[in-house]
Amino acid sequence: MTELEQRLTQLGRELDWPETPDLESRVRARLAEPAPARAPRRHLLPPAGLRRSLALALVALLVLAGGVFAAVPSVRDSVLEFFGLQGATVERRTELPTAPELRVLQLGQRTTLDAAAGELGFTPLVPRAAGRPDGVFVGTGPPGGELSLIYAPAPGMPSTGSAGLGLLVGEFRGDLAPDYFGKIAGQATSIERLSVDGQRAIWIAGAPHVFFYRPPDSEFAETELRLAHNVLLLEHDNLLVRLEGSFSRERAIELARSLE
Amino acid sequence: MHQTIAFRTAWVITRSAADAEEAAQDGFVKAHAALARFREGSPFRPWLLAIVANEARNRVRGAGRRARLVQRVAEERRPDDAVPSPEAALLDSEQRDELLAAIERLPEPAREAIACRYLLDLSEEETAAALDCPRGTVKSRLSRALERLRVELAEVEA
Repeated sequence: MTELEQRLTQLGRELDWPETPDLESRVRARLAEPAPARAPRRHLLPPAGLRRSLALALVALLVLAGGVFAAVPSVRDSVLEFFGLQGATVERRTELPTAPELRVLQLGQRTTLDAAAGELGFTPLVPRAAGRPDGVFVGTGPPGGELSLIYAPAPGMPSTGSAGLGLLVGEFRGDLAPDYFGKIAGQATSIERLSVDGQRAIWIAGAPHVFFYRPPDSEFAETELRLAHNVLLLEHDNLLVRLEGSFSRERAIELARSLE
Repeated sequence: MHQTIAFRTAWVITRSAADAEEAAQDGFVKAHAALARFREGSPFRPWLLAIVANEARNRVRGAGRRARLVQRVAEERRPDDAVPSPEAALLDSEQRDELLAAIERLPEPAREAIACRYLLDLSEEETAAALDCPRGTVKSRLSRALERLRVELAEVEA
């Protein structure tokens, strides 16, 4: 840097800039306002409740880079990293919020694969490397619905311990619900960006992290907090696929590649 | 965390505290709405500053006379803790005033580039995002602006 450049930089530090207004509270208030009336765009926007939930959840990230959970005063730690896929967000924070390790998974109505195909707004994908699922559930959270597949522990898919599952698969239209769920990871958790057969993916492992939905009928996303295990998040065309369990990264990729 | 840099970037473009505040607010709200399009691996601040700066530019169009880039040098912010001699303080003050005046005489694009890159201490990438131009353009604007400042300051000192 030349002497003139140094003088300019120093000058910037000494200048009497206009006082920065309190943007945080004003932006937060604006985002909490009801959205203006507009012509309905079926399935293209999340419901109003979800938008408000997103507003509450994300404004602090933008303004403060901290405190996603505005309603939980204890969770105001800095966001160290931010990752995004279509349908999911992942943040690394200095500390994790307190979350229960859910023992009863709320996955929706039990059904069959054939019936699920008729109820969902997409064609269900099954990880053929894991065989046929032991349970199929359909939930109504995001537009287009959500599919959950559960598998009992098996070789290469050890029990998660809490729910006793070997594999939990979740699928929904990420293009219709771009921020449907989020994950908060601490510093001990590894977050790795991957490409699985050309599709963007994120592998989260090494320590339990927090998983939360932003349900459309709830103002507070944190009500759905739970601890999660290793997980591979994968964009599969217009779907966001979640493969969760106590398995290895290699096994997760193998499962992802077998989706069809 | 990003409030101050967003507001000051908007100020550099609008030269109006009210417009800069509106631009920053609108920028944050629009960034929130567009968060799903923010892609992993991309640095967050340039993305945010680009949105805020665009809001600021929208307010400049058609606006009348704007304030000087910076009104004065903060009295409490001396370059070091030592109390300068009256002569040194006068010289410092004069040099800063000359530098500020020279910046004010720059053409608008060059002045904004200097303000973003040096006065706000933005990176080249952030400056390019704020000014909505390629990094190469930022480099060439800065190069010409620095040369012009050198010439003007040399003339003043001569």
